[in-house]
Amino acid sequence: MTSAAPSGATTAAAAGAAATTIASRVRGHALATPARIAMREKVHGIWAEVTWESSWDTTLTVAHGLLALGIEAGDRVAVLAENRREWLWTDVATVAVRATTVGLYPTNPAEEVGYLLAHSGARVLIAEDQEQVDKALAVLDDCPHLEKVVYLEPRGVRGRYRHPALLAWDDLLALGTAHRVAHPGAVEALMAAAEDRDLATIVYTSGTTGRPKGAMLTNANVDFAVRTVTEGGGLADPPPGPDDLILSYLPLCHVAERVFTTWSNAGAGVQVTFAESIATVPANLREVQPTLLFGVPRIWEKILATVTTRVAAASPLKRTVTRFWLRVSDRIGARLVATGGRHTPATRLAYALGWIFCYRALRERIGVGKVRYAASGAAPIAPEVLRFFMGIGVPMHEVYGMTENSAIATGNRPGRVRLGTVGEPQSGVELRIDEATGEILTRHPGVFAGYRDDPAATAAVLEPDGWLHTGDVGEWVDGTHVRITGRARDIMITAGGKNIGPAGIENELKASPYVKEAVLVGDRRPYLVALIGVEADTVGQWAQDRRLPYTTYRDLTTKPEVVELVRAVVDEVNRRHPPVEQVRRFRLLPRELDQDDGELTATQKVRREAVARAFADLVDDLYAPGGDR
Amino acid sequence: MINSRPRGRPLLRTSYAQDLALLDTPAKRWWTAALLVLAFALPFLLTDDLLQLLAVGCVAAIGAIGLGLVTGYAGQVSLGHAFFLGIGAYTAAALSGDPDGRVIGFGVTDIALWLPAAGLVAALAGVLVAPLATRLRGLYLAIVTLGLVFIGQHVFNEWSALTGGAGVGRPAATLEFLGRPLAVTDGLGTRDQKLFWLMLVLLVVFAVAARNLARSRIGRAFTAIRDRDIAAGVIGVNLPRYKTLAFAVSSFYAGCAGALLYTVTGFFDPGSFSLLLSVQYIAMVLIGGAGTISGAVAGAFFITLLPRLTREMQAWVPFISTQPNEVPNVFQVETILYGVLIIVFLIFEPRGLFGLWVRARAYWKAWPFSY
Repeated sequence: MTSAAPSGATTAAAAGAAATTIASRVRGHALATPARIAMREKVHGIWAEVTWESSWDTTLTVAHGLLALGIEAGDRVAVLAENRREWLWTDVATVAVRATTVGLYPTNPAEEVGYLLAHSGARVLIAEDQEQVDKALAVLDDCPHLEKVVYLEPRGVRGRYRHPALLAWDDLLALGTAHRVAHPGAVEALMAAAEDRDLATIVYTSGTTGRPKGAMLTNANVDFAVRTVTEGGGLADPPPGPDDLILSYLPLCHVAERVFTTWSNAGAGVQVTFAESIATVPANLREVQPTLLFGVPRIWEKILATVTTRVAAASPLKRTVTRFWLRVSDRIGARLVATGGRHTPATRLAYALGWIFCYRALRERIGVGKVRYAASGAAPIAPEVLRFFMGIGVPMHEVYGMTENSAIATGNRPGRVRLGTVGEPQSGVELRIDEATGEILTRHPGVFAGYRDDPAATAAVLEPDGWLHTGDVGEWVDGTHVRITGRARDIMITAGGKNIGPAGIENELKASPYVKEAVLVGDRRPYLVALIGVEADTVGQWAQDRRLPYTTYRDLTTKPEVVELVRAVVDEVNRRHPPVEQVRRFRLLPRELDQDDGELTATQKVRREAVARAFADLVDDLYAPGGDR
Repeated sequence: MINSRPRGRPLLRTSYAQDLALLDTPAKRWWTAALLVLAFALPFLLTDDLLQLLAVGCVAAIGAIGLGLVTGYAGQVSLGHAFFLGIGAYTAAALSGDPDGRVIGFGVTDIALWLPAAGLVAALAGVLVAPLATRLRGLYLAIVTLGLVFIGQHVFNEWSALTGGAGVGRPAATLEFLGRPLAVTDGLGTRDQKLFWLMLVLLVVFAVAARNLARSRIGRAFTAIRDRDIAAGVIGVNLPRYKTLAFAVSSFYAGCAGALLYTVTGFFDPGSFSLLLSVQYIAMVLIGGAGTISGAVAGAFFITLLPRLTREMQAWVPFISTQPNEVPNVFQVETILYGVLIIVFLIFEPRGLFGLWVRARAYWKAWPFSY
């Protein structure tokens, strides 16, 4: 099924019932509730609304435009843009014409963009603005398949760039409109011919080790994920619906955000609101007040740090009152942790009182006032952070999944939350833990079709009988919940022969508002040491409050007072661990980690090896005999 | 379209109409409604002498809103407000006056005619003055508008056929609507109750109109000129046109306020339109809060009620006398308080009474943080 030109569509349709795709689901919403809101995006200061009817209409035009550009079934269309309406339209339109969407991180450097475009063999690239167009043009020669670069923002491109491969979004729509007139029904015919095994998307894994690998997800994979989060009770209870709002702000090329934005939008009709940028998320959260909110641990940690610093900076009355109620919420949180998220009469009463004095206002201020289901995933999170949110009344759930299983594996269910675990297997998911290695394996219809052009890597993780090796080491808790203890390849074996999963300790360190990054080193070394990056905002505020003058971030990290501050955090964490798992020494990173230096992945995960390499002198210093901590 | 946003999210604005709405949050809608209900119920709660004072306050508020538009919004300092108030007062009085009386009168007693006429004549005077504003700014404009007050005072004093002459005065405009007198005591209520209601209704009309003007293209042009007239000109604001418009609208408000002001007492004297009156209105705008309508209203009531307050204060501070020939007496205290208040407000809260309100509101809005 590589050729499905409009003329041959009828024969393909006769082969059987069309597969359910995100395109057919969006069309369903447009037919059932044409006037309801599908998405919102801020345009010139106001939230422009798009109804399902007009959303589907634009999608159809884009799909026709792709056909006009010569896209055929099985081709790849890449998107290099921040979250915005065109991302979703392109994604759905691409699936509608039985092609495959490839998402690229807007923060990717040009070299990586080139690799991903060449590896995926994308024929059309949707690039956001001049910055992204520049990257694409720089690597155009290395990408033999790339024919057209469609830009969304004409500023700086139109009238200045004269490259034959460039095409404006408006011109793509014009092409699509003309094609729609000339070939009515061409897209519908392709949709009718869609099959379950058609590739819907290729999601490149962020790759904390080595080159990114392209995980291929089929329509069937996506459909399983959609059904699990919308109908299977895997997400909120009651399930997400057209009255729910979400804020879309994490990169859409990541599978987690795809689940929450595109798939829940197409699946359950959830209204998507696009944040203006990652920097405006706090402000946008306040405006939008979403009902469902997904965040990576970094986001939740950041919100918690913001609350801590702003309460500290509040006027005495507000500070006293809020601190009191936050202590109460701590207790409520602890109680909820014990009951799995169900209130007792006592916590309910305490919460009701605190709601009047603090929680209602606090939640509204940080933009979680209407959140009825919050989830953290994509990386491990410290339980203290989750407990804080549970205490102030945000139903917080840690979920677990990975690109290779369409982000579906386990999740904490409302009312059955177990802190420190990633929850119970979702409905329809088979999960087992390898006896020997402790590795978690999953099997379900969402397990991917393999890595693109990499059968060896595919064979390494995917067994012939459908079991997927997640690479995460875990254990059962009470036979129902799963606890992740670390990444299999991150396990450190100290010179003393002790196996240590660094993630837990790192997260405990990061739970402090003053610590942004913590990288443990200790593999084949006598003891554990840590490289710690301080949070510029909170530590800067802390220094200011103590009238501690500093100039730059680097200067801040050299202050003995700051080192002492971090030492207190480290000592606190050490107290909870046996000596062999304690951080003996640490150094502060003299600068913030950056994706451009290869130290962070596009999802802001730390590349342990790259950091250890970049700061090798610090590490050596830490193991030097006689050096102080 | 205006109601298409999801419930309970006042910040999620999906149209410019929502962005510019007068009462953009449910809280504002409820509180405004409550305030209006209370205002209209006041005549049943207060005595007639207080109501009369409040009626004067309503009218003063209309005048202060007018000055607020030209000085607070458009940034054109005007000390000539008394002049425009005077023009309004005499236009209305002359139009509705007795044709056979001692002074000029045309017998048009209907408020629906003399009120707009008073506004329009004052507005015309404003338009004539405006060319000065397009050439001058700041202190120079203030001095020039000061000149208007002196010219006006001279004319009003000398033209006794219209004004009755200095120290004598003439009756104010007659409050009649469609041949029915508006302010007489009858079964429905006392004169002062009705006066208050009438002035309150007019104040609401004028205030809402001013708020609407302020949030329109014209209002935005005004504030652009205030913040930096050169920058405003560069972004395409037609300076002469909008400065003229500012003076015209402001003078219209002043004319209407002047026409109504003396209907409460029934009689007025050309000596009223002195520099002191201009300064009083400037004080209303500054103490209330420049650049806001509600501030101008608050300032007007504050200044109008100030004499009454100082007199009430005398009960607690016995060493202040009520006799004008003793020292210290309430009149001196009032004058001093007046000056002190202006100084205190300009130093500690330049945004005036409105600024105090904004502070209080921000304190609770920011809860549980401070910013």
